[in-house]
Amino acid sequence: MLIRKIQKFLTLVFTVGLAVLPTQQVSAQAAPKAPPKAAPAATPQQGGTLVMVVQPEPPTLASFLSTAGPVGQVATKVYEGLLEYDFKLAPQPGLAKSWTVSPDGKTITFKLQENVTFHDGKPFTSADVKFTVFDVLKKSHPRGINTFRALESIETPDQYTAVFKMSEPAPYMLMALSGYESPMLPKHIFEAGDVTKHPNADRPIGTGPFKFVEWQKGQFMRFDKNPSYWKKGRPYLDRIVARFIADGSTRAAVLETQEAHIAGFNAVLPVDVRRLEKLSHIGMTTRGYEMQSPIVELDFNTRTKPFDDVKVRQAVAYAIDRKFVVDNIWFGFGRPATGPINSNFKANGLYTADVKKYNVPNGIEMANKLLDEAGYKRGAGGVRFEITHDITPYGEEWRRFGEYVAQQLGKIGIKVTLRQEDVPAWLRRIYTNYDYQLTNNWIQTLADPVIGVHRLYHSGSIRQGTVFVNGTRWSTPETDNLMNQAAVEMNSKNRARIYHDLQKRIVDASPIVFVHELDFVTVHNKKVENFLVSPLGLYSAFDQAWLQK
Amino acid sequence: MAVSRLQYIRRRLLLAVPVVFFIIVLNFLLIQIAPGDAADVLAGEAGSATPEYMDQLRRKFGLDQPIYVQLWTYVSNVATFDLGFSFRHNKPVSELILSRLGPTLLLMVSVLLISVSMGILLGAIAARYLNRWQDNTISTVVVLTYATPVFWAGLMLIVLFSVKLGWFPTSGMEKIAAFHTGLARIIDIAHHMVLPVITLTLFYIALYTRLMRASVIEQYTMDYVTTARSKGLGEKRVMWGHILRNACLPVLTMAGIQAGALLGGAVVVETVFSWPGLGLLAYESLFARDLNLLLGIFFISACLVVLVNLAVDLLYASLDPRIELK
Repeated sequence: MLIRKIQKFLTLVFTVGLAVLPTQQVSAQAAPKAPPKAAPAATPQQGGTLVMVVQPEPPTLASFLSTAGPVGQVATKVYEGLLEYDFKLAPQPGLAKSWTVSPDGKTITFKLQENVTFHDGKPFTSADVKFTVFDVLKKSHPRGINTFRALESIETPDQYTAVFKMSEPAPYMLMALSGYESPMLPKHIFEAGDVTKHPNADRPIGTGPFKFVEWQKGQFMRFDKNPSYWKKGRPYLDRIVARFIADGSTRAAVLETQEAHIAGFNAVLPVDVRRLEKLSHIGMTTRGYEMQSPIVELDFNTRTKPFDDVKVRQAVAYAIDRKFVVDNIWFGFGRPATGPINSNFKANGLYTADVKKYNVPNGIEMANKLLDEAGYKRGAGGVRFEITHDITPYGEEWRRFGEYVAQQLGKIGIKVTLRQEDVPAWLRRIYTNYDYQLTNNWIQTLADPVIGVHRLYHSGSIRQGTVFVNGTRWSTPETDNLMNQAAVEMNSKNRARIYHDLQKRIVDASPIVFVHELDFVTVHNKKVENFLVSPLGLYSAFDQAWLQK
Repeated sequence: MAVSRLQYIRRRLLLAVPVVFFIIVLNFLLIQIAPGDAADVLAGEAGSATPEYMDQLRRKFGLDQPIYVQLWTYVSNVATFDLGFSFRHNKPVSELILSRLGPTLLLMVSVLLISVSMGILLGAIAARYLNRWQDNTISTVVVLTYATPVFWAGLMLIVLFSVKLGWFPTSGMEKIAAFHTGLARIIDIAHHMVLPVITLTLFYIALYTRLMRASVIEQYTMDYVTTARSKGLGEKRVMWGHILRNACLPVLTMAGIQAGALLGGAVVVETVFSWPGLGLLAYESLFARDLNLLLGIFFISACLVVLVNLAVDLLYASLDPRIELK
């Protein structure tokens, strides 16, 4: 349990909002009066303190500089974005009440809500949008540098209009404007001094439904209701407290004893979820992560023997029983994956299942045949060759997964030695030193394939020293070309066709074994109502959440 | 020649300076062996990052400088009592450590006081009734608690007293949603302290009981005990008036050494009970490669150990007047 804790403690990394390509004509959408929501069970009651468990403790509250998962869970209560998203992954009004995309896709005009003020009483205007996106996110946000790459200028013809001008169409940009991905900051606070070490980084002032009150490091953060919130009558809660508990078993215990109300992103470990869900006061859901889309995978070092040979890589892909992995190692939280794009993208047609199938009943047989063809004959003890398999240090299940892989590869004559290090050592080994043969890994496919998927396969993403990019160092001119086309393609049908082609080619070449699509779990007290109103899940503002008395 | 107590303290503190300096340099170099740096971790947590972003981070953290430059910068900063800046937490290291030192000291001092005094008492009783039922009971229980892993004991106490019986809170130092002040807050903190203190005490008490028992048995064979008995003193008087004081010395030595270990040993308990202490902070900063913070914690721990050992030596002299401060 101690080991599990040590690993879980770092449980990391979540990422952007998922994206759908906006349909060809995103003409000015009339702003609906209220954001879409799941039907509330009853009339919301005012008041109460919601205690949520956030794991691990966020390193900072500067969500404009860090996209670390836990940061998003707390900072989104204070900062809002220009847009929100519905469960069909379509953009909805947020701080922008409407938007228009020009026919050539190079100009987007946002009309802002007019009665919004920051927590210090100053109004929110187009100057804040320009400052945030152009001077902060485009320069210093870990993903914003990429998302806003094509953005050349922002014009502010009046207080409530912001016009984004781009050098080429960037259809994915509209998917990256949530309060989590692109938080809107007060210019009058952050323009003074260096924004990367600003004193207000950990004392956020936003437009959101909750005001930051205090952060006791190692213990909790407190957010109190913003009485002058621009959405009238909201929020319902008086206060949100985020607690930080390093031990997984203790996190389960605080939900059991009702000392805390909600915990997401697998803060309650899958093994405990199966126990807690039997309790009458506990509910659980795997929804609210549709904009994360993580995929569990095995990454090859495709530049060294033996995995420079496509047949050897395919053999490994054949040897893994994906259903077994999901059911036995991840307690059933997931589905077998088929390729580099998560099946969540079925909604907008980008996903296809029509690719080479490795998850077949006679997989071991196929794998043996391929290895014979590749010239790796069985030697003493039936061993063809030996490899070291690295284990990603993000939790106990990864070790068990590694043990399973070692066992399966043993069946096809590959002798496996497992190696486990801590997070910094592992990242350094895979993404800087390339000193590995096979590692398990998990990657979020993010807001849009342009942001989440291209980085793993494009030759331009073979960037030594940068983490979670193309560490397998596999690429081909054809696939590079497909990705370049997809990035600027405005027609959704054409774009889907390009991505279908890309998926086929990548799955054929098998630089990565796609094992399964991972489901995160949110465990909550049944008294908490209406917390799940968008695919952003715990990354939304909780202005509609309320507690039964 | 005995020196005055003040002079003694001053000399000991002066001698500690090179020790602490050596510890700083050694720690700094040891940490460099660990692969990966803070920029890797921050970018890793982000799930994705651009090369520009990683360069920005490394420049900001000073990681683009050669090791000897980093070491020199660090040592010269510490010399002026500047422990540096934690880029991960975006706060000065000293501020972070100070905010965590309180809870750790609260836990550590309580555990140390309770386990040393209980250990002395139990050990003395066990030795006094050597090989009788009192001794057997104490010895058995003590071996059991010593052999129980601390995290497991903690979790079991949570399951029993928090989840099943609901007597104590599972974790934390205060009732988070309540924001008590004044006396209510003190009572609340005491309430939260019970389980973590018991968990740690169970472990340490065993150590001191065993040590005390052995020490008392040894003292029984000493000449002064025979003398005391031949003066006609009763067994009780011999035990509590003469033996106890002498038998305590090894226990105190041990407690002095343990004070340092307790800072580290508390990591497990701090994790299980989510106690906002220094151990947990050290543990987190190691995995985050937050070097300034980690070195700062090592520095403070080293200072604490030096101070506690000094205090123990002073205590020696007052317990046993034959020991001179030299």
